[in-house]
Amino acid sequence: MLDPRARARLAHDRAALTGAAIVAALLLFVLVGPLVVRHGPLESDFVRGVSPAAMPVGPRAEFPLGTDRMFRDVLSRLASAGRLSLFIALSATSIAAALGAVVGVVSGWYEGSRVRVPWPAIAGCVAAFAALALGHPAVAAVALAAACFGALARRFGGPRMDIDGLLMRVVDVMLAFPFLLLVMAIGAAIDRTSAPTILVTLGLTGWLGIARVLRAKTIQVRALEYIEASRALGQSTARVMLKHVLPNIAGSLVVTSTVLVAQMIVADSVLSYLGVGVSPPTPTWGRMVYEGQDYYLAAPWIVAAPAAAILLAVWGFNMLGEGLRDALDPNET
Amino acid sequence: MRSIPTRRDVRAAACIGLVVTAAAGCHEQLAAPIPARSDDSAAPRPGGTLHLASLADVRTLDPAGPLDALSGEAIHLIFAGLVDYDQEARVVPDLADHWDVDDDGRTVRFTLRRGVVMHDGTELTADDVKRSVERSLHPSTPNPNTSYFANIDGYEAYASRGADHLRGVAVEGPYVVSFHLAAADATFLPLLAMLTLRPTCRSATDRYADTWLPCGAGPFKLEADGWQRGTSLRLVRHSMYFRSGLPYLDAVEWTYGMQFLAQRFRFEQGELDMTHDLTQSDLARFVADERWRPYGAAEADTSIFGESMNTRLPPFDNVEIRRAVAAAIDRDHYRMIKPANMTPLSQVIPPAVPGYDPTFEGQRYDYAAALEHMRAAGYPFDPATGRGGWPHPVEYLLYDQGVVLYTAQVLQQELAKIGIHIALKVVSWPAFLAMRTDASRAGMSLGSWGMDYPDPSTFFEPLFASAALAGESTYSSAFYSNPRLDDLLNRARREGDPASRARLYGEANAIVCSDAPWAFTFGFHWFDLRQPYVRGFAPHPVWLRDVSRVWLDRASSGAGR
Repeated sequence: MLDPRARARLAHDRAALTGAAIVAALLLFVLVGPLVVRHGPLESDFVRGVSPAAMPVGPRAEFPLGTDRMFRDVLSRLASAGRLSLFIALSATSIAAALGAVVGVVSGWYEGSRVRVPWPAIAGCVAAFAALALGHPAVAAVALAAACFGALARRFGGPRMDIDGLLMRVVDVMLAFPFLLLVMAIGAAIDRTSAPTILVTLGLTGWLGIARVLRAKTIQVRALEYIEASRALGQSTARVMLKHVLPNIAGSLVVTSTVLVAQMIVADSVLSYLGVGVSPPTPTWGRMVYEGQDYYLAAPWIVAAPAAAILLAVWGFNMLGEGLRDALDPNET
Repeated sequence: MRSIPTRRDVRAAACIGLVVTAAAGCHEQLAAPIPARSDDSAAPRPGGTLHLASLADVRTLDPAGPLDALSGEAIHLIFAGLVDYDQEARVVPDLADHWDVDDDGRTVRFTLRRGVVMHDGTELTADDVKRSVERSLHPSTPNPNTSYFANIDGYEAYASRGADHLRGVAVEGPYVVSFHLAAADATFLPLLAMLTLRPTCRSATDRYADTWLPCGAGPFKLEADGWQRGTSLRLVRHSMYFRSGLPYLDAVEWTYGMQFLAQRFRFEQGELDMTHDLTQSDLARFVADERWRPYGAAEADTSIFGESMNTRLPPFDNVEIRRAVAAAIDRDHYRMIKPANMTPLSQVIPPAVPGYDPTFEGQRYDYAAALEHMRAAGYPFDPATGRGGWPHPVEYLLYDQGVVLYTAQVLQQELAKIGIHIALKVVSWPAFLAMRTDASRAGMSLGSWGMDYPDPSTFFEPLFASAALAGESTYSSAFYSNPRLDDLLNRARREGDPASRARLYGEANAIVCSDAPWAFTFGFHWFDLRQPYVRGFAPHPVWLRDVSRVWLDRASSGAGR
């Protein structure tokens, strides 16, 4: 993905290197931190973690970042929360990137043309997925069979649709929908918000920007001569997309995904801060900020540590994403 | 992904973050108290407006409505009762000049004060008392406290719409009204001193209506347009109040929905005269500050919190497991979450309620005993290896506000040490109320109860008596039932001799603590802070932030600010 010239540009971009260093340090901290800290993230120390005034103790050898309002080690919680936050951010970004890539490439490829859409197949797949989610595997099997039949039936005709226009209108509608409301609705529906709920919801709502960017790149790539040549040689649409279009837009996908990780970290923190994230006592950076805000004058380390972690993580991923963008597509900067 | 931030954005964010972090590290001093104009010997001076605030909003100002503590704070000032509580929580005459008890304690006859003028200018009569009682206890009224008065003769027929009037409340003259009870009841007068049956103006009519504007015979009345729901409330002095010279204040003004931090800063600047909505860190600083110490006071401990265990579901259908839980909780750990507001609690009755026995040990932290109870229950736990204990996670239901979010996490840690693993289920307050009444759903839940009237029965009967299990909206979240306890509570309710009552409630207390449907954990009390120029205030044992005798003595801008 990175050719020698891109690698060279990246190696000379100090901001990008700083970003990469921050991200690497963060990954090291969340992977190794929970294994080396002296206290568990859920353990209160009602003896050494409490000051004589019954307040949390500040940073010291025993507790390098002090203790929180429940007299738990802030460093330990920071590392555990970071592990969860990065897991959620990276997983949600993966989902969003996959969805965004599919929608973006398909939309860009069919831009300006009308194609036969296998509606029965799509409807059958959606019904099968819904039936499976609701615990009706028999219905799901029937729906899947109907989908297969629908895919075959498409060969015999059907309405032609502006698939690009349709997908972009879906993007418009979803951009207008408040994702926070969606997360809360899903949380209420399943009785409890958990890490999988959060990451799936963020992933399912975070692909819109990627789809827009990749659509534009696909429209550019589609017009190139070697794509025309591939089609003239009789390669199938799917093969052309996978073998020729996708590799050429992978740089943009990596750049937008890297920046998206930062946004996912912020989104996860916001949800936790508002109390609709992962339930306590599981530590999250947003929850730590929430729990520490009452103490920001008396025990500023409680809120400063997770706030700084969020800031650094977002900063690091953003700088790395920008650096990758500069390295992969210098004409855009 | 909505947009890609530029480097400038990122650097700006970094700078802001650093500035915020640096600012957070700066410890600022509390402002000095604003001094009073005169010394402690000064006589009360009338005038001025007392400014108060609250994070929450007042739910109703109708004494017959669904009251909460915040509503009570204002309703107590607007409505006077036949009887009230004094500073020692004794029942004393208020609108009643005096009362007589006869018919073996089954009739209580009140003679009203003459010339009591209500806020609408009419004179209070016995008809107003009867009308207000019937309005409050009518089945169409959303009054959650009606069952307290089921002992009034004819209540059942009235509550079931079988009678148009409540037979047990009789007007015997323009200023004489009597209450006939089905059985002698030592709790009747304390119940009557509650807010629920306080006389209302005739504009209240015979039936409850949510749109009615409060009007009573208390020291303050609602100013025209003085109640902006969700925002503010302003009460002004009732110049015809029957206690001559009172109240001293011209007005009391509440602002609702004000965040804790905003309250603190406005209090320091003298824009609020009193506050009790403070964060733990701010509270600790005020309490530790020599300048402020004389102006802080704890309200009475009249509420109880505990861990309610569903006695119908495993593992808490096993009394040994419940005892293990009660012994595994170190109450001091709970208290450390918010020391200025919490008192460790080991029994049913909180310290400020009559019947509290400080020598009674109740439930106490004893880790070795907790492990022994686990062994006796058949689920031994080895702390060294972490093996054993109850093999399934237990769901713990709580709501998503306040200190209980943290006490629940302490509970998790404490019970993990005896092999019981708690999974927190955090829901909204309405969902919490609905879910904890489902005997098949909540294995363990947060238990809390505030005193309705200063008597032990206010805790025992709704929480632990078998009769409380009747109906769909029981408060008995432990679903506990014990015929021996029921018998003791019935006898105590009828018992007129205070010493005998205390003994009966002592026995009941011991049974509940031993059977442990709840593990009692802490009592919660507000901590009031006032500016030095707020005079005449003392925490009341029953009423939250009672300002009926407060006066202002402000040096800088005078009492009439």
